[in-house]
Amino acid sequence: MSTAASLHQNRKRKNAVMMTLCVVAAGIGLAWLALILGALLYKGLSGVNLAVFTEMTPPPGDAGGLLNAIYGSIVMTIIGIVVGTPIGVLAGTYMAEYGRFSKLTTVVRFINDILLSAPSIIIGLFVYELMVRPMGHFSAIAGAVALSILVIPVVVRTTEDMLNLVPNALREAGAAIGAPRWVVIRSVAYRAALSGIVTGILLAIARISGETAPLLFTALNNQFWSSNLNAPMASLPVTIFQFALSPYEEWQQLAWTGALIITLTVLGLSIIARSLTGRREDR
Amino acid sequence: MKPMLSTDLNAADTTVEKAKIEVKNLNFYYGQSKALKDINLSLPERSVTAFIGPSGCGKSTLLRVLNRIYELYPKQSAEGQVLLDGKNILDRSQDLNLLRTKIGMVFQKPTPFPMSIYENIAFGVRLYEKISKAEMDSRVEQALKRAALWNEVKDKLNASGLSLSGGQQQRLCIARTVAVKPEVILLDEPASALDPLSTAKIEELIDELQADYTIVIVTHNMQQAARVSRQTAFMYLGELVEFDRTEKIFTSPREKRTQDYITGRFG
Repeated sequence: MSTAASLHQNRKRKNAVMMTLCVVAAGIGLAWLALILGALLYKGLSGVNLAVFTEMTPPPGDAGGLLNAIYGSIVMTIIGIVVGTPIGVLAGTYMAEYGRFSKLTTVVRFINDILLSAPSIIIGLFVYELMVRPMGHFSAIAGAVALSILVIPVVVRTTEDMLNLVPNALREAGAAIGAPRWVVIRSVAYRAALSGIVTGILLAIARISGETAPLLFTALNNQFWSSNLNAPMASLPVTIFQFALSPYEEWQQLAWTGALIITLTVLGLSIIARSLTGRREDR
Repeated sequence: MKPMLSTDLNAADTTVEKAKIEVKNLNFYYGQSKALKDINLSLPERSVTAFIGPSGCGKSTLLRVLNRIYELYPKQSAEGQVLLDGKNILDRSQDLNLLRTKIGMVFQKPTPFPMSIYENIAFGVRLYEKISKAEMDSRVEQALKRAALWNEVKDKLNASGLSLSGGQQQRLCIARTVAVKPEVILLDEPASALDPLSTAKIEELIDELQADYTIVIVTHNMQQAARVSRQTAFMYLGELVEFDRTEKIFTSPREKRTQDYITGRFG
């Protein structure tokens, strides 16, 4: 009896120690997040006003807004997603459906994982060599291409994972009533995996909307309003980078505000993504 | 319920009945390993045939050859002949999708598509027929009535198929299969994931469906085989050990292995 009791005590002690360590570790992780969000809100919120969304980035020492940067970010993100998503979804579909048992899929998955973790500045340099140098100038379209290259591996991965979660029984059931393979994929597999695939796309948007490095080499920046895809275009991350490094107080303030806008946008997208996946699990 | 076995039916009658499906010298391989060994079997039209046997005996494999669903996976191959109305469906020229509209299948776990109850049924019909909304409505209704599900779902046809209970989902799958007007229905342990009440409903349904369809059911449950089928095939280690009228298999089997299995000595 006494050994059993002491073993039990011993286990309880160990449990308490481990529990404390886990709580402390989680606390540290969350604390940084809270500090970052707090600092952003504290410094950024005071700069949020109508001018931020209606005026162009100002020259040093002047008041202004971020309209051209916000516009540029939205345009390049949309093009990046529109170009990257179909490629990613189709590749993921091949890997999970048609090529499920093929060697090629294993190879593509491996390469895709490398692409997924490739430093984004390398993607920027790649597109610089591919487009900017031959064209002779920086351009928004080059920026969008760089972003789309970042979108592809994220979407490939989530599409494949989500389609793999669709039970094979469902595919067999589709085939068993005489549906051709592409109909089963379109009407059954995609439908079953839809919220997961959409989540992947939202995560890709969240990722590229904060990317700076690939845009530095491609879209560069633009102090003025430009909707010309063939010319340099401003974007929030690059503007933040430039303004935060500057000695001018107005610019620094705008950088904080821009950072707050991006963070809240990404946060919002992540929450939407979470709630979509959550709904899926409820079902 | 009408008696499932009429006493005047004897072995000779079974052979005289028109065969819907004839399996001849069928061998089946998972990669290198042989899962079915020289199966010969004749399934009479409009009648229920049960495949029984211990796990891994090949009964599900045999069922999956009959609509060639195994071809969804690589490294699975069948050789021999499976004749549907005299035509070899293992032939390379056989269109798989058309074959599967003739030979429907219901699986162990209910597999409603992620769409509404109505769409679950209309989906299969729409693949091969262009019919008006009104015709489709009545088609859906007929199928649901045939699967004894209409009364439970008629007020919520637009609800998701996934919102139904397990037993209802399984009947929805049967309705979906019936809706495309197959000639043969394959049932792969259709009640093994269901509670006793739902199981009873499914069995009743099978009994009704055999008036119009040739039905093949794989089951672990010997009582179920005895209740629903007219012929029973006992399989063991990839071989067809014995195939006869269900009554005969369960009362006076020829083979010792069949005897041992049905009396619960192994399996």
